[in-house]
Amino acid sequence: MAIISEQPGGQQFPDGGITAQGVSRSFGTVRAVDHMDFHAPAGKVTALIGPNGAGKTTLLLMLASLLAPDQGTITVGGLDPARNRAEVRSRLGWMPDTLGVWESLTAREILTQMARFYRLPASGIAPRVTEMLERVRLTGLADQPARVLSRGQQQRLSLARALIHDPSVLLLDEPASGLDPGSRVELRTTLRQLAAEGKAVVVSSHVLSELDEIADGAVFVNNGRTVRQQTTEEAAAAGRRYAITAADTAALAAELARLGLEFRREEGRRPGVSLVLHNEVGAERLLRDLVLAGVGIRSFAPAVGALEETYMNLEGERR
Amino acid sequence: MSSMTENREGSAHRGAPGPYMAGIGHVVALELKQRLRSRGWYIMLAIWFALTGLVTWLTWASWSASNAFQRDFGDVSGAGSTGPGSLIFEVVLAFVLLFALLVAPALSANAVNNDRAGGTLAILQVTLLEPGQILWGKFVAAWAAALAFLVASTPFLVIGVALGGLTPAYILVSLVMLAVEVGIVCAIGVGISALAGRPLFSIVVTYLAVAGLVVGTLISFGLGTGLTQGTVLANNPQYRAYAPLQSEPMDAGYTCAGPLREQSAMHTERVAWTLAMNPFVVVADAIPYPDRTARQNFTSIGAIEGISQAARQAMAGPEGTTPCANGKVQPTYLGQKTPLWPLGLGLQLVLSGLLMWLGWRSLRTPVRKLPRGTRIA
Repeated sequence: MAIISEQPGGQQFPDGGITAQGVSRSFGTVRAVDHMDFHAPAGKVTALIGPNGAGKTTLLLMLASLLAPDQGTITVGGLDPARNRAEVRSRLGWMPDTLGVWESLTAREILTQMARFYRLPASGIAPRVTEMLERVRLTGLADQPARVLSRGQQQRLSLARALIHDPSVLLLDEPASGLDPGSRVELRTTLRQLAAEGKAVVVSSHVLSELDEIADGAVFVNNGRTVRQQTTEEAAAAGRRYAITAADTAALAAELARLGLEFRREEGRRPGVSLVLHNEVGAERLLRDLVLAGVGIRSFAPAVGALEETYMNLEGERR
Repeated sequence: MSSMTENREGSAHRGAPGPYMAGIGHVVALELKQRLRSRGWYIMLAIWFALTGLVTWLTWASWSASNAFQRDFGDVSGAGSTGPGSLIFEVVLAFVLLFALLVAPALSANAVNNDRAGGTLAILQVTLLEPGQILWGKFVAAWAAALAFLVASTPFLVIGVALGGLTPAYILVSLVMLAVEVGIVCAIGVGISALAGRPLFSIVVTYLAVAGLVVGTLISFGLGTGLTQGTVLANNPQYRAYAPLQSEPMDAGYTCAGPLREQSAMHTERVAWTLAMNPFVVVADAIPYPDRTARQNFTSIGAIEGISQAARQAMAGPEGTTPCANGKVQPTYLGQKTPLWPLGLGLQLVLSGLLMWLGWRSLRTPVRKLPRGTRIA
């Protein structure tokens, strides 16, 4: 706790988040990032969504102050990384998509080294490391060499490493890749906690279903450009496709036709229909109408996540 | 806001011997922990120890065999009076230097780009560490790992000194110079590894750089000498009648007379700097040897003295070595006293310093230019 109080937290700055304005970066002739805008506010989880090769990792490297943008500005908590290098670094936590673990060191040694590299006061390092090991549930494996850890455990170690200096901005590149479902749920809980502590959390991913549950907002990128910024509520309000299955699909279709709704027959493993509903109230009303009409509803749920809906629509626009 | 920052930094650093050095120390600790836990290093060290021991034993055995042969056949003019020490010392020294030059690139030339490939370099770069701290830390760790090989060979150098009745200064100076040469190769290796994308490439380039220093300097000196055709003003030496027992030991044995005339000569001093960069020349030239000018008997001139004097002669050029150059009697073989090693060591330091500086530039973040085909993380 002593360490945390010494770290300048994001809350002290009204603009504690991280912002990129019009950043561009080319590698040779490849324009990886092209005038991208990005903002992740403090206290929120912001998803960075886009297909492979969209420029997510390049943007995160620039946000982490490892890669210099060719154009544009980046501010971390209102500070310019180029001029306030140390100050910005001590506020940034970065978890790369390549795990990069010193394999012969133990989890405890890795975290201790990182704490030293961040110049934490020597007396506070050991308790801080123990605290972080507990947070990512690696206490039992703390003195094993990192090479014996499973991928999921290494991922958790990598998260602890990014958190060791209690940063106010957390940049996570594909943190959920390779995690089993249980660990994903756990990661979700951890990230919500970190946001509740007032940190700006940035998560890049292309696994969208879980981001619905984690993210407060999303920035969609493609071909190196910011395609859309929206909050999860906005995404949900934009209308979603619902999938409905019934004991008698023909009766369901007839009832929907009677209600004057446009729908599509889904000839999947479980035959049913799908249709776009504009909001959750509409979904609620339709379900009640169908049940009252005596249609035996087997399932009634959003076909895809809210963010996935936007993503797929963007993909459609691109074609 | 800034005052708070200063306070925090200040409190974290108070009492430390400088935060910059402390950061280097932490990087060294990280590197050494990893090195000490790899089995390969211990295996190499054991092979090294066994090989050095074998070479020492073989040298001693061959010396005692030839000594016994000479005694049996009543040859008294041989090396019987000197003992085997200087021979063992010189052979072991040359061997240790050769193998240290071969081991050092393997220990240093993947220090940075191996981490880059494993994704662990960016982990360091994103912290508060400065690029210089990372680079110095890697260099010191590589050097320390290489110095362990010198430590392993110290017993055999001590045996050589003890058997030969040489002074402790010999062993001290030679160990220091070996350590410095190994450090230079490590600096070259670490610098190249920061510049090159792939570990294999940087290791090969570092080996080529070492080959350039050991063999390339000799070749370029040899070829370069051909381009230094010139003349020197000299008159004629007049040799006295042969009278070994009366003559002074360092007497050149001639006097100069007659008019000065231009004679063709090789101006080796113009290319001697290439020779000076050779690690063997640097080590040999730095090791002290007794001033022979006052001694009667110097039949047992060792290889180290030989290398040193040959290099110093090249440095002196025809002005200092041609008999009667400018009408003066020149000191003979062992009289060259101007040391060559500071020049060679200086040039080596410039080379390794340049590579380290370029390596430092490539470690700066945020990165502006990335080497082709590499990623930060």
